[in-house]
Amino acid sequence: MSAALERMPDVGGPAQPLLLVRGLQKHFGRPAGLFRKAGAVVRAVDGVDFEVRKGETLGIVGESGCGKSTTSRLIMALIEPTAGDVIFDGELVGSAELPLREYRRQVQMVFQDSFASLNPRLTIGESIGFAPRVHGLAADATRSRVRDLLDAVGLAPDQFANRYPHELSGGQRQRVNIARALALRPRLVILDEPVSALDKSVEAQVLNLLVDVKEQFDLSFLFISHDLNVVQFIADRVLVMYLGEVVEIGPVEQIYDHPAHPYTAALLASRPSMDPDLRRTEPPLLGDPPNPVNPPPGCRFHPRCALAEPVCSAKHPRLAPVTAEHEAACLIALPGSGHSRAAS
Amino acid sequence: MSEDLVKVRDLNVTFVTRDRTVHAVNGVDFDLAGGEVLCILGESGSGKSVTLRALMRLNPPARTVMAGTVVVGGHDIVGIDENRMADIRGSVVSMVFQEPMTALDPVFTIGQQICETVKRHEGVSQKDAHRRALDLLDLVQIPSAERRLAAYPHELSGGLRQRAMIAIALSCRPKLLLADEPTTALDATVQIQILLLLRRLQQEMGMGVIFVTHDLGVAGEIADRIAVMYGGKFVEEGPVREVMRTALHPYTQGLLGATVHSGMRGRRLTTIRGAPPNLENLPTGCAFAPRCDVATDACLVAVPALRGDPDHRARCILVAAGKEETPCCSI
Repeated sequence: MSAALERMPDVGGPAQPLLLVRGLQKHFGRPAGLFRKAGAVVRAVDGVDFEVRKGETLGIVGESGCGKSTTSRLIMALIEPTAGDVIFDGELVGSAELPLREYRRQVQMVFQDSFASLNPRLTIGESIGFAPRVHGLAADATRSRVRDLLDAVGLAPDQFANRYPHELSGGQRQRVNIARALALRPRLVILDEPVSALDKSVEAQVLNLLVDVKEQFDLSFLFISHDLNVVQFIADRVLVMYLGEVVEIGPVEQIYDHPAHPYTAALLASRPSMDPDLRRTEPPLLGDPPNPVNPPPGCRFHPRCALAEPVCSAKHPRLAPVTAEHEAACLIALPGSGHSRAAS
Repeated sequence: MSEDLVKVRDLNVTFVTRDRTVHAVNGVDFDLAGGEVLCILGESGSGKSVTLRALMRLNPPARTVMAGTVVVGGHDIVGIDENRMADIRGSVVSMVFQEPMTALDPVFTIGQQICETVKRHEGVSQKDAHRRALDLLDLVQIPSAERRLAAYPHELSGGLRQRAMIAIALSCRPKLLLADEPTTALDATVQIQILLLLRRLQQEMGMGVIFVTHDLGVAGEIADRIAVMYGGKFVEEGPVREVMRTALHPYTQGLLGATVHSGMRGRRLTTIRGAPPNLENLPTGCAFAPRCDVATDACLVAVPALRGDPDHRARCILVAAGKEETPCCSI
């Protein structure tokens, strides 16, 4: 471990994905006990594959219960996967080549609740400097790093370093969380709904800041949000999740202009129009997102899908290419699937 | 206008505790006609929820000081005694809250909670109340109504819980429905369902609705008129189209610019610098002046009156005064 605690070098070159997720599964269940039967198993994440490329922002969208936050916690190794691998720059996370401690230096996370994610008994400066100290950075080097980071996120170091989290506004606290995430010079930052709890005027400030620090610190982002407009603003590629599965992934323009999966199309159509003359008259989707305890057979979206046919309840669609960069898990996009709208 | 459903004049709400005094609402005036939907738009701490609660006198009685005139459906809300207020809540005015899980009582079924309201206000039998409850669940489009009446709140999904709460709020056919961010906790595909449901019910029942939100997009889907609140005051008020297309107040313009929507990719978002004002210690002038890019010394002297057209006004000295200067309101 270097005493200067600098950024870890690139291993596989620009073409190798920074993060590769293979067959990731997380099932939450209550095992059988002496006096009770096994509880129902929640298939929160059920076989997810994707990659985050070097320098990109991958957005993950989906409704509550779709598994997007569980996915982020699995990638951070905050919880154990039921199955599947996370590979960081060509090395398996948790293996001898990349022990967790080394991995966590390179991957950091910003959470939605800016207050709950800061220790109330530590000053802002102590919070930001905590991880560098743990990783062996000297006290004076840590102090100057904290000052640089506070500067980078737009908080005057002299004013803020000695204050406590409760003395700050929500937007300022989220800036502190971003500074803390950058303190170990990570290569990937996972942002789990980082602006959802902020007021609109502050949300825009934090989004601009994220764009700046990504450039300044040469980062890749995994950006999780339920707000499709925010994801469209910040992401290069978008991954859409539904009931623990990836239903569509591709470049942001293609997904937003030509969604291939009916669920993506409905999500996009559910956004308020921002124009009182273009008000919706019919909701794009009926019902609530179903419970991931008992996902429907076949395509998990078929009970809510306007284009569903009998084949959709029998056949489980895999991700199939729509264009070179764009994939969707829908029988309509899969030639010869038996759906009347699919190419034969 | 005597037919107005709601008439609010110079409403002030202050929370007083031993250590501090918070001026949450500082002189709000507005009228609402029956069958009209007003959206109060504002950020956290702007006083929008407190204004809404004042219309039903739901702010904590021990530490709330309420001054001004609030008349709802001919009832003087400020002066009325607590027993009469309990009669009015539910029958004349009712409310839908943001978080259905905390607003509903977890130890009673949905059916019991609807029947309780109907029996309290209309004195009908259990059987009639049950029949009404069934009709109400149909009205708010809850499928398999009979089974859902016997369900406890935790057994329902978020969307169904919010529908159940709307059913309770509408159970005694109120003239005025208050909605405090009713869709904020919901998923996008469910939010639009609830907005469309509220709009349809409002039209069918001819209710007046006051809808509080921080989301311009939501306001655009449901409002007839928008009032923008900042620092406990209405800073802009007007028809939804005009406010969203030709906002007068720099704060409203800033909010519109800061709201991310499609077509902004790769561009720098316009922001409003700083943070909302401290309600313990409001400035003497325009509360927005410290964050305003076009503020002048004159802004710091006194709070500007609402200026502009009587129909679309803003509390900013840069807005040209309309044909008739209306320092308070158009009564």
